[in-house]
Amino acid sequence: MRCVHLFDLDAVNPLGDAPFRTFLAGGIAAGDRLLALFAERCGPGRFLVHAALGGSFPGKYSHGCVEVSPKSFPTLTDVCPGAHWFEREIYDMFGILPQGHPELNPLRFHEGWEKRFFPMRGDGSPSPEPRRGYRFLQVRGEGIHEIAVGPVHAGIIEPGHFRFSCAGETIQNLEIQLGYQHKGTESLFTGAPGMRQLLLSESISGDTAVGHSNACARLLEQVLGTPAEHAAEKWRSVALEVERIANHCGDLGGLSTDIGYLFGASHFSRLRGTALNLLMRLTGNRFGRGLNRIGGIGPRVPGIGAEDLLTELARLGSEVEEAGSVLLEAPSVVARMEGTGRLLAATAKTLQIVGVVGRASGRDIDARRDFPSPCFEEHPPRVVVAAEGDVLARARIRYEEMRSSFRWLSKVLSSPFAGTSSPHAGPASGPGRRTLAVSVEEGWRGEIVHAAIVEGNGHIVRYKIADPSFHNWPGLSFAVQKNVVSDFPLCNKSFNLSYSGADL
Amino acid sequence: MFESIVGRKRKGKATVSLPFGNLPEPFRGMPVIDPDFFYGETAETCARICETQAIDPKAQTLDLGRCIFCGLCEEACGARGIRFSPDPHMPYGKREHLVIGDTTPESPIADRTLRSLLGRSLHLREVSAGGCNGCDLEAQALGNPVFDLQRFGIDFVASPRHADGLLVTGPVSRNMKEALIKTYEAVAEPRIVIATGACAISGGIFRGSYAVEDGVGSVLPVDVYIPGCPPHPLTLLSALLGFFARYPGKIPPSFPTPRT
Ligand code: SF4
Repeated sequence: MRCVHLFDLDAVNPLGDAPFRTFLAGGIAAGDRLLALFAERCGPGRFLVHAALGGSFPGKYSHGCVEVSPKSFPTLTDVCPGAHWFEREIYDMFGILPQGHPELNPLRFHEGWEKRFFPMRGDGSPSPEPRRGYRFLQVRGEGIHEIAVGPVHAGIIEPGHFRFSCAGETIQNLEIQLGYQHKGTESLFTGAPGMRQLLLSESISGDTAVGHSNACARLLEQVLGTPAEHAAEKWRSVALEVERIANHCGDLGGLSTDIGYLFGASHFSRLRGTALNLLMRLTGNRFGRGLNRIGGIGPRVPGIGAEDLLTELARLGSEVEEAGSVLLEAPSVVARMEGTGRLLAATAKTLQIVGVVGRASGRDIDARRDFPSPCFEEHPPRVVVAAEGDVLARARIRYEEMRSSFRWLSKVLSSPFAGTSSPHAGPASGPGRRTLAVSVEEGWRGEIVHAAIVEGNGHIVRYKIADPSFHNWPGLSFAVQKNVVSDFPLCNKSFNLSYSGADL
Repeated sequence: MFESIVGRKRKGKATVSLPFGNLPEPFRGMPVIDPDFFYGETAETCARICETQAIDPKAQTLDLGRCIFCGLCEEACGARGIRFSPDPHMPYGKREHLVIGDTTPESPIADRTLRSLLGRSLHLREVSAGGCNGCDLEAQALGNPVFDLQRFGIDFVASPRHADGLLVTGPVSRNMKEALIKTYEAVAEPRIVIATGACAISGGIFRGSYAVEDGVGSVLPVDVYIPGCPPHPLTLLSALLGFFARYPGKIPPSFPTPRT
């Protein structure tokens, strides 16, 4: 299965600082992308930093690790700017300083936490330096003023703090301070692998329950040696595409709201609901919770047969087609979206931007093709890429992806399902050796990476989650530069990133 | 422009009317407990499998404030002890109203003053405090043409200063605690606090994490808890309307029938 990969860590020797940098820089130069960078406590006072790369051709994974001191390690952000936030996270969770990091602000912990609290540091290490406070970038110049927004926003959305430095109406700099949704998610994943992890994965980002739980289920199955059969995998991918359609509809509705285009707003919010209801017919929950079990899918899934689902999807598909073409051809809509919030292709590449936002800025990446799960192996997806990188491109990509998903679904649902979809009864066994498992799934926002370090006794000692939002948040700051403040909501919606998925 | 007008006309009415019935299978709504469930082995088995400790075989209760509706207990007992029905109506109210056993407690109605002040015009400020966003999305969905919350005089507003109360989601992350308290203080009295979803009620699947407060109740006085993970928009709607005695079946006979 090319969507999951196991590395035997017993057979891996940590690299030195310099070779590790070369490994990272070389991989990126060769067209791989940074899947995840994370630290692990591998004994009292002993820490490893792991990097997982891949994607330059389907099923390509590579892994490297380096042993670092409890105090610091040389930053990697200079050779791989996409490592920027990952390093901030390593600092926050372990208290290990990425030496030379350009902007080491806390990502997870605000004022009010104990300054020496680093939840994954454990004992056996020298007491860390107190955590540095948050320092906002100061823009100086005549007439520069700051606008602070949040954490509680005007709409019904998640909390985060945005600080704009503006000259008149024009945004010179946007600083995004997150962490408000931090709930210690990763630390709850450790222990014996089981349903607990799978249930948690459904709550990493509520709108991506299917994407995350698919990634988590396959990881656990690979570790336990109980992969799901063809039929179960097929339903997983079907649910994934329905989830994509629901959320893309929601985003087109949200974009319409932000430009005051009521037709789009009401139609797409309704169509989103229709798609969510299909997910409910499939899984028993509007967000697809309960879809997955280890080794298969839930006993109530699918609650709707392939044929009925096809009929419903055909109806929904034609409505989406119709509403989408009206929306994206309306001159007033195009005028507002075109050229707004442009993320340059070079920036997207440098920052390792993924998913819809990446593809709208010329990144030809899609985990469904690059790390295909069995069903996408059998029925390859169509990857939609655009070059413009503006709000309009991000809207069009969503529309085109939905159209592709409808076509893909009609093909897949009318082909046979083989084997059973229910979980195996047989006993599961651990890998027996220290293992790193990496699982990748293309959620509707972009690629989701789950990585777990499993000890020989089968216990998960470190679980790393990389939601696409984590890669993409820094991109938003670039996209809004030189735009007017009043266009920020539109730009933000066109990214529509998860706070919970990034804050964990 | 023309296409959009034609498109609108063709769609007709999409809004649900009250009272609503069951949702289609396999929706996991209000659990039905077999009368013998708590007297057998099955309760122990289900309690062991439940990741949120929602089932208490000693007290013989199921706490809907903890339950994340994962359905694992139903599977473990072969639906012979606990079965999830497709009914979106759930108990709501104080913490004790969510604990079901032999009987399901009667959900409360707001007192007279609150009813007369807020019953027909309720403005809520939503605060997302450390959840996964699922509950926020369902609260947001209440505003769409299908659920159309505004027809009941209930609306979400942009500022706590314009609000009569808060609707809070999430276990209250430690990073959101201060902002939540400040938002609450900015709401003029009388004010109500509604906490929705397993996280906001008990911490849900995140209970016990170093970074959360295990529910809104440990930070603010909560008037109404609404269970679910996340609560279906119809669950939210029936609880909001029920609390103000405006949902069919929840209206005492002495009350005038409200327009729906
Ligand atoms: S459905 Fe609720 S009670 Fe049953 S196992 Fe899941 S969380 Fe526990």
